[in-house]
Amino acid sequence: MVYLAAEHFASPPQWTWYILFYFFFAGIAGGSYVLGTLLRLSGDPRDEAAARIAFYVAFPATVICPLLLTADLGASWWKFWHMLVDVTPGDTGLNFKYWSPMSVGAWALLVFGFFATVSALDSWLRVVPMLLNRLFNIVGSVFGLFIASYTGVLLSVSNQPVWSDTWALGGLFLASGLSGSAALIALLIRNRPEASISLGRLHQADGYFSVLELALIIVFFITIAVAGVLSRVLPWLPLWAIAVAGIAGSLVEARGHTRMQAAGGSATVAGVRLDTVVVSLLVLLGVLAMRAAVIFSAQ
Amino acid sequence: MTNHWRDIKNSDLILINGANPAEAHPVGFQWFMRAKLDRGAKMIHADPRFTRTSAVADMYLRIRTGSDVAYFGGLINHVLQNSLFHDEYVRNYTNASFIVKEGFSFKDGLFSGYDATKRTYDIASWSYETDSTGFAMRDKTLQNPRSVFQLMKTHYSRYTPDMVSSITGIPVADFMKVADLVGQMGKPDKVMTIVYAVGLTHHTTGGQLIRSGAVLQLLLGNMGRPGGGMNAERGHANIQGNTDHAISWEILPGYLKIPAPGQKTIADYVAGSAPKKSDKNSWNFFGTNYSKFMVSTLKAWFGDAAKKENEFAFSFVPKPAGNASWMTIYDQALKGKMEGLILSGMTAASIGPDSNQVRQALGNLKWLVVMDALPTTSSEFWHAPGVDASQVKTEVFMVPTTHWIEKDGSFVNSGRWSQWKDQVLPPQGQARHDHWILADIFQRVKKLYQSQGGKFPDPILNLTVDYKDPLKPELDEIAKEINGKDLTTGKQMTSFALLRDDGTTTTGDWIYTGSYLDSGNLMKRRQGVQDTKTNDPTGMGFYPNWSWSWPLNRRVMYNRASADLDGKAWDPTRPGITWNGSKWVGDVPDYPPTMNPHDPAAWLPFIMNGEGVGRLFSNSMLDGPFPEHYEPVESPVANPLHPGNSASPVVFLYDKAAGRPDRFGTATDFPYIATSYRLTEHEHYVTQHVPHLVQLQPKPFVEIPYELASEKGIKSGDQVRVSSKRGKVEVLALVTKRLGAMTVAGQKVYQIGIPIHWGYVGLSADSDSSRGRYWLANALTPFVGDANARTPEFKAFLVNLEKM
Amino acid sequence: MATIQAGESYGFFTDTSVCIGCKACEVACKEWNQLQGDSPSFLADSFDNTGTLDAQNWRHVKFIEHVPDQSATTGNGTAWLMMSDVCKHCKQASCMEVCPTGAIIRTEFNTVFIQQDVCNGCRNCIAACPYGVIGMNSQTGTAHKCTLCYDRLQGGLEPACAKACPTQSIQFGPLAELQKAADVRLAALHSQGVKQAQLYGRDDKVYGGLNAFFLLMDKPETYGLPNADNAGLPSRNDAGGYLAALVTGVLAVVAGLVAFRRRVTG
Ligand SMILES: Nc1nc2c(c(=O)[nH]1)N[C@H]1C(S)=C(S)[C@@H](COP(=O)(O)OP(=O)(O)OC[C@H]3O[C@@H](n4cnc5c(=O)[nH]c(N)nc54)[C@H](O)[C@@H]3O)O[C@H]1N2
Ligand SMILES: Nc1nc2c(c(=O)[nH]1)N[C@H]1C(S)=C(S)[C@@H](COP(=O)(O)OP(=O)(O)OC[C@H]3O[C@@H](n4cnc5c(=O)[nH]c(N)nc54)[C@H](O)[C@@H]3O)O[C@H]1N2
Ligand code: SF4
Ligand code: SF4
Ligand code: SF4
Ligand code: SF4
Ligand code: SF4
Ligand SMILES: [Mo]
Repeated sequence: MVYLAAEHFASPPQWTWYILFYFFFAGIAGGSYVLGTLLRLSGDPRDEAAARIAFYVAFPATVICPLLLTADLGASWWKFWHMLVDVTPGDTGLNFKYWSPMSVGAWALLVFGFFATVSALDSWLRVVPMLLNRLFNIVGSVFGLFIASYTGVLLSVSNQPVWSDTWALGGLFLASGLSGSAALIALLIRNRPEASISLGRLHQADGYFSVLELALIIVFFITIAVAGVLSRVLPWLPLWAIAVAGIAGSLVEARGHTRMQAAGGSATVAGVRLDTVVVSLLVLLGVLAMRAAVIFSAQ
Repeated sequence: MTNHWRDIKNSDLILINGANPAEAHPVGFQWFMRAKLDRGAKMIHADPRFTRTSAVADMYLRIRTGSDVAYFGGLINHVLQNSLFHDEYVRNYTNASFIVKEGFSFKDGLFSGYDATKRTYDIASWSYETDSTGFAMRDKTLQNPRSVFQLMKTHYSRYTPDMVSSITGIPVADFMKVADLVGQMGKPDKVMTIVYAVGLTHHTTGGQLIRSGAVLQLLLGNMGRPGGGMNAERGHANIQGNTDHAISWEILPGYLKIPAPGQKTIADYVAGSAPKKSDKNSWNFFGTNYSKFMVSTLKAWFGDAAKKENEFAFSFVPKPAGNASWMTIYDQALKGKMEGLILSGMTAASIGPDSNQVRQALGNLKWLVVMDALPTTSSEFWHAPGVDASQVKTEVFMVPTTHWIEKDGSFVNSGRWSQWKDQVLPPQGQARHDHWILADIFQRVKKLYQSQGGKFPDPILNLTVDYKDPLKPELDEIAKEINGKDLTTGKQMTSFALLRDDGTTTTGDWIYTGSYLDSGNLMKRRQGVQDTKTNDPTGMGFYPNWSWSWPLNRRVMYNRASADLDGKAWDPTRPGITWNGSKWVGDVPDYPPTMNPHDPAAWLPFIMNGEGVGRLFSNSMLDGPFPEHYEPVESPVANPLHPGNSASPVVFLYDKAAGRPDRFGTATDFPYIATSYRLTEHEHYVTQHVPHLVQLQPKPFVEIPYELASEKGIKSGDQVRVSSKRGKVEVLALVTKRLGAMTVAGQKVYQIGIPIHWGYVGLSADSDSSRGRYWLANALTPFVGDANARTPEFKAFLVNLEKM
Repeated sequence: MATIQAGESYGFFTDTSVCIGCKACEVACKEWNQLQGDSPSFLADSFDNTGTLDAQNWRHVKFIEHVPDQSATTGNGTAWLMMSDVCKHCKQASCMEVCPTGAIIRTEFNTVFIQQDVCNGCRNCIAACPYGVIGMNSQTGTAHKCTLCYDRLQGGLEPACAKACPTQSIQFGPLAELQKAADVRLAALHSQGVKQAQLYGRDDKVYGGLNAFFLLMDKPETYGLPNADNAGLPSRNDAGGYLAALVTGVLAVVAGLVAFRRRVTG
């Protein structure tokens, strides 16, 4: 990896609101899909209800993504498909550049869209046999992990200050996407009492993800400081504070649920309580805030 | 220009004073860069501001505006004191050896012959001692104390490096660096060019500023030589053509003088106007042929009505009793003595000094006609911001004319090359060509005279208008007419040397004779860099078959002086013309082509002068035979040379003469020196209509030295007010280290820079809530003219500066 | 100049030591390419009111004032730096590297060109270009930059900006010839004692070499150009970014499996 004396003279690409929300939903889509899969793989049949919520979440979140991306193209929106097909006269064919995260991402989104749709449908119709379903989920999750993380890599693969000065963004976006997904599913359990058995575990998972996220935030700040562009990040500290508040909330909540389990009490919580609502919303806000802080600090 | 643009590449040293060619003449500037890049020439720029020219110069001198006479004076003194002048040249090609009449003196800033009540000089005492033949006495040893050389040495001895520094603000060490470089340019194998423009002319000492440079060039033997000369970069694309064809009130075409009242015959006129031969070897070409040029001109104008019997209709030509220069027109209007005014291609309301007063003058007219392609500050003056239109009585007519881009015709560049151009766009809207409008007005006036008679109808009724369509003359026809023809053969004249004063030849402008032959319009020739070998046979960049330059396609004027007494080039690597044993070869010789230099009767090199040599001492200037430093009319210091006569004693003070209140300020109220100038991005006021250029310089601003700005708490982009005794501008500040404090006469002074390009008309004004109410730079400038040309002092005046 | 031929590498040698900041190049570019320009604003930054290269400004003359506050300076292009900036037509072009649609191509003149009909306005190239060259036109929804007058080259004409430059600060031609000319000019300046003169992009130290390279009178950073240590392609971050994501992914999956593990008691 090349470390650069971080003096950048690039112009900002003006990726703002559409992209911010795309990054958010990509994190939720990929993250939820992965959580659904993990719940099925590791949990017991009682976790199936929560897993379905996860797949139900992943589907619309995935569908929104290309819409946001297309909207971001502005007047060229109708050329969205050029991401996949090269229309250069005399050189037509499919576009795929493994070294360009945006190119890979476009394909990944297409493929993941397929997985998310099938899995959501199946969650509803329940027709696919279990083994096949698991296998399908695992493959889909690989794409889910990609979708949730590549947006961070995409920012890094540029010459923008901050973005290109760190290698932590892909991991950071993934951890935060997973954390946000766990929080969202936990929140949605409100409407699915039969899934409340998974609530504690979701909080616990969220806790782990938050630890990862916190670690990566620290790595991010260290890399940024080393590159000498800390000053560009500082104005956005309030946003970082929200993200950290989300992380702190997750940790507190996770600790509560781990204790409960350890105390051997009935690991079942009757339903979503206020603390879950507050923490989950805070985490989701944190997911958004962290992405905003990263996006804005370069532009 | 004595030389031409391309010729600048032949220089070893380029001295730029009072010009900012990189910004005002960027295309011509390529030759400065070629000199630098191809021959390692050095470029020295003296300017109050560090400009885009300074940025690529080898040396930049921060000079106080209006002080270049002292700067040149110091260089002249350095050359004289250290005998660095070109000895052979000075002895033979200048009037250094001429003996000046007893009675000439210079004391305390005044030359002999001063009349304090009239504020003018009687220049009779500034003439030569003559011998029995009536020619001037000479002392080629240059030892005679009354020789021009010795007088000059005394005159300039006061311009010591310390004195120069005290006047100009240039530190002595920096000045000496320049003096050393310039001092080497008197060697025959070295040559320097001096380039100037309105940074020298826009002063009450303008004429003398330019003479200072010319004197230095004569001493160094650099006049007449490729790579040398005294080169004025002219203004608009065709301003040279303008003056050649008599845009100024005091001349007729070809720089013939306007006749004076009392002159009844051609002989009277020639006696009063033509240079007089003052050496037996002087050809005095101009003086000798004056009557031929005048009579041929009259023949072109009045045709058959110009006859020997009626002195070739000499009586038809106006003989103005008073001055009628630019400022005088508005001065007369202010006095209520003008009825109407036609402005064509010029916006009086922006360009003249003291524009508030000029606007008042326009408001005193009954009618004003503006011939222009676009709205101007003159056509819109009656509803300018802050003006109550109902109070303006002047009736204003806008006559849409074609822009130069919508017609063909010639542009004459600074190097006197008349280059024919094509029409680029068809006329837009209802626009008509200027010459068609004038032709139409003329025919209507003529009809009125025919039907109603009048006091003196003859000049109108007899004017020749021999065009295919007298209402729509073609420029090509006019060009052909200007060249002139032989009335006996009907053929085009090939040279002004063949013009006669017997009524058998015509010319519209004798210096253009030879430009349009029977074979066609030579200004259209385009044999240039496509084939340098064939088209530039001497390799000196003359390109004789590219367009046509006056006189007679000569590219370097006075080129006899480029060769020594034997006719050999001073520098064989850069010849102008050389004697090959039987004729002069190279450029078109400024000399009889076969005149042997060893012939005892051989003419002296400067054929246009009465003396036949270059004038270090001149009796044709109204403000002194030697240049002398005078302070600008508004100055924060008293003249260190003669505090009692600080400013020029002969400047023309319009307000004072007209009995209007004094409009000059003093350093107590207006402590800062200001100068006004152009920016590359705009052409005066007209480019206020061009979006791409308005983007490049969108808002009026003033340049403020960093130190002064810090004192006043002004930052770049702040709104500031700059005011003089006459008016104010309210614009943005651009704070820069390119301007700075300097020490003048022991005092710390600051200079402020004011670009001229904004007013209340155009895109910038349209986008401003005040419509550019206080944007006219000339609201600040003084209404005063130099003694010779009445040029305003746009370049040096006093202002105050406030943060708004 | 000899005829312009497909298959040959063309570019610019911009000699900032002779630039007079006249902006003729800016205007010529706008005129030829029919660019309207941005709405006028006074930037209070020396004589520059263009600000930056963008979709409306494919040439931009930078003005950097380093004028010492004193009477005499040596000028010579070192005290008031002027530089006509433009797309560098990088051999290793960051913009081209990231463009997902294949809109950015290398032409038969070895220049970097954005095909307007292919570009879909994703702006990834803007994020990538280390020189801040590219801008978006919101009307067309596509990215724009200097085309190196692709249309003029195809018609055998030199680029408009080079043609308009009065001092030949912008020289256009076959790259090899330009490189030779640049070496000569640099040597001349060095022999005159102008030691700070340096070539930028003439060799392959930045982005494999630039087709539009420069003679500078100060460090590249002074002109807002990345120096050799600071010039990296976006793809340098692919490996690191994905690796961090992968590690995070593995840890997260393990964490998830642990959190959701089968319950011991019912
Ligand atoms: N871009 C552009 N070019 C133009 C024009 C234009 O409007 N825009 N106008 C054309 C016309 S009509 C003309 S007349 C020419 C004029 O051409 P220039 O004379 O070159 O133009 P200016 O900018 O008026 O003045 C030149 C310089 O003189 C400096 N100066 C002022 N006072 C003094 C002084 O006392 N001594 C010295 N040494 N320097 C002094 C000013 O700071 C300025 O930098 O330009 C022509 N070219
Ligand atoms: N303070 C200050 N004042 C100055 C100066 C300065 O340096 N400082 N400089 C002075 C100098 S040197 C000059 S030359 C003047 C310049 O002053 P102007 O000559 O008045 O300035 P321009 O804006 O060039 O005006 C030319 C006008 O001619 C019109 N035009 C163009 N082509 C044609 C044509 O073919 N026919 C007709 N009829 N009109 C045409 C244009 O539309 C424009 O309105 O300013 C002078 N004023
Ligand atoms: S505007 Fe015309 S006259 Fe002036 S420098 Fe440019 S080309 Fe020459
Ligand atoms: S300068 Fe920027 S836009 Fe131009 S080729 Fe290089 S990376 Fe692409
Ligand atoms: S904006 Fe156009 S040229 Fe730039 S990366 Fe996207 S598709 Fe390619
Ligand atoms: S090469 Fe053409 S497109 Fe590029 S800057 Fe020059 S004029 Fe503009
Ligand atoms: S045209 Fe040439 S001299 Fe003028 S700003 Fe552009 S590069 Fe510099
Ligand atoms: Mo002028």
